[in-house]
Amino acid sequence: MSTAIAIEPPARESSPSGLSVGNHPSAGVRTCETTGLPVCLTAQQFIRLNAVIAVVALLAGGVAALLVGLTRWPTVHLLDPVWYYRLVTFHGLNMLIFWILFMEIGILYFAATTLLNTRLFSKSLAWTSFAMMLSGAVLVDVTILLGKADVMMTSYVPLKAHSNFYLGIILVAVGTLIGVGNFFGTLYIAKRDKTYIGSVPLVVFGATAAAIIAVVTLLHGAIVMIPTWLWSLDVIKHVDAGWYRLIWWGLGHQSQQVNVCAMVSVWYMLGTITTGAKPINQAVCRGAFVLYILFINLASAHHLLVDPGVGASWKIWNTSYAMYLAVLASMIHGFTVPASVEVAMRKKGHNRGLFGWLAAAPWKNPGFSAFFLSLLIFGFIGGITGVTLGTQQINILAHNTLRIPGHFHSTVVGGTSLAFMGLAYYVVPLIFKREFYARGLARIQPYIFAVGIVIMSLGMSFAGSYGVPRRHWDVQFAGAQFAAGFGSGAHVMLGIMGVGVVLAFVGLITFVLLVVAAVFFGKKIENRPMTAW
Amino acid sequence: MAQEKKPVEVFQKEHEHDEDDHHTPGTVVLTLALLVSFAVYYFANWKALADVWHVR
Repeated sequence: MSTAIAIEPPARESSPSGLSVGNHPSAGVRTCETTGLPVCLTAQQFIRLNAVIAVVALLAGGVAALLVGLTRWPTVHLLDPVWYYRLVTFHGLNMLIFWILFMEIGILYFAATTLLNTRLFSKSLAWTSFAMMLSGAVLVDVTILLGKADVMMTSYVPLKAHSNFYLGIILVAVGTLIGVGNFFGTLYIAKRDKTYIGSVPLVVFGATAAAIIAVVTLLHGAIVMIPTWLWSLDVIKHVDAGWYRLIWWGLGHQSQQVNVCAMVSVWYMLGTITTGAKPINQAVCRGAFVLYILFINLASAHHLLVDPGVGASWKIWNTSYAMYLAVLASMIHGFTVPASVEVAMRKKGHNRGLFGWLAAAPWKNPGFSAFFLSLLIFGFIGGITGVTLGTQQINILAHNTLRIPGHFHSTVVGGTSLAFMGLAYYVVPLIFKREFYARGLARIQPYIFAVGIVIMSLGMSFAGSYGVPRRHWDVQFAGAQFAAGFGSGAHVMLGIMGVGVVLAFVGLITFVLLVVAAVFFGKKIENRPMTAW
Repeated sequence: MAQEKKPVEVFQKEHEHDEDDHHTPGTVVLTLALLVSFAVYYFANWKALADVWHVR
């Protein structure tokens, strides 16, 4: 039974390609010459704005990452302790929150308006969301750089930052919530105006799952951050440290699950755009997204596996039962995404052997290579280490060691950030309507970044296996009154990590330069498809 | 080789399937490689835990 989206009826007027203009106001839509998809011009404006700020945050967080990484490499040991902890805070917030959230709001606007052929629900809400997020991000960054919030990203109480730090996070959270509300409003008017028939496309379904998780995430943020902000203003005298940790991880970990949902949606989208793949089973893929919504929140308990404030039964239920159902969702997508590409490539005639389809895939297309490398890194490194470290007994070995950032850099950076980079290789020509310069460099950029992140993650993980702690300025404990520090094996691994950091930064700065050059100086694309990768 | 479709055509027909859509032997092998990698890593960690925490 076909329940395909209808970009055709109900026909009112026609765009130049002959497709319906949905519920767009006159002159409020264009048809993309490359994809054939309708593009809402209001949404396009906000996709551009959010993407630009996202890349600025990526650059800022990336520079901090280089400096922090070179400090963790004992041979270099670049920064003093004050700036080390300051930049750990700065790096975490820019990379994990600002770069990702701005991109995700852009993705939500794109998925809803373009794939459902509808206008954006509210331009005013989009402006409000963007202004709040931007002002909040600037407030947080300035407060950190002024040295008034050296509390690291988790900002565990009783560490106290300047009130502007918490206020900035609240502004970003509420701004994002408004953006998510605008997305839901857009879904509503698309349904009301019948701009599509049947089910929404899988990419929109995945984006909706991400938006639902984002609402729960941001509510946790409000619950924990508003009292903490008032505490920083001395309006409230006490915030319980155990309560803070419990609720904060409903924000801290779940925000990464919004990333996972958005990343998987981007995988499906890039699979379609780069190879013509379509999901191999709608019910299974959508069921997997529902598993994320139901169980991913509970999985955040794995951050508290050595916390004395919560009981063993609670920990085991959440991390050894609920978490496995969320992991099952990732395993389903980990199968269906490459399977859809395999089906598409085999239909094109690439049937030789088991992996002829994979060898014939468009590896010179940075949209494809970034997406598929992201899939491999997320599954083989991030997924395997994540499930293992989330087991309560094994967590005892690894808690607060470098194994933990070794894991999450392979999910959030090697997975989400790399997938978003792949998306950018289409966002710039299709939404900014600009061609990339140095296309040869663009083709190898995902490989440089991916290899750097893999080396860095493995270096971190193995150094952590030697017991090297995370978020620690000097693992040699120079000047200590007792024998301390780590042996040569740990130092080799920290050196490997450092090499990976440098390589990943080269990949990151290459990406930023390519995007900036294209957006501001690239050749305009008017009335023609983008140059194929 | 099949004619390349524009993405809009794929999105429009993403709910349509035929039997060929489930012939994915390469992905099955990739998935098995993932599961074997997971099993090796997971049980190596249990072995490491057993080495440092002896049950007497």
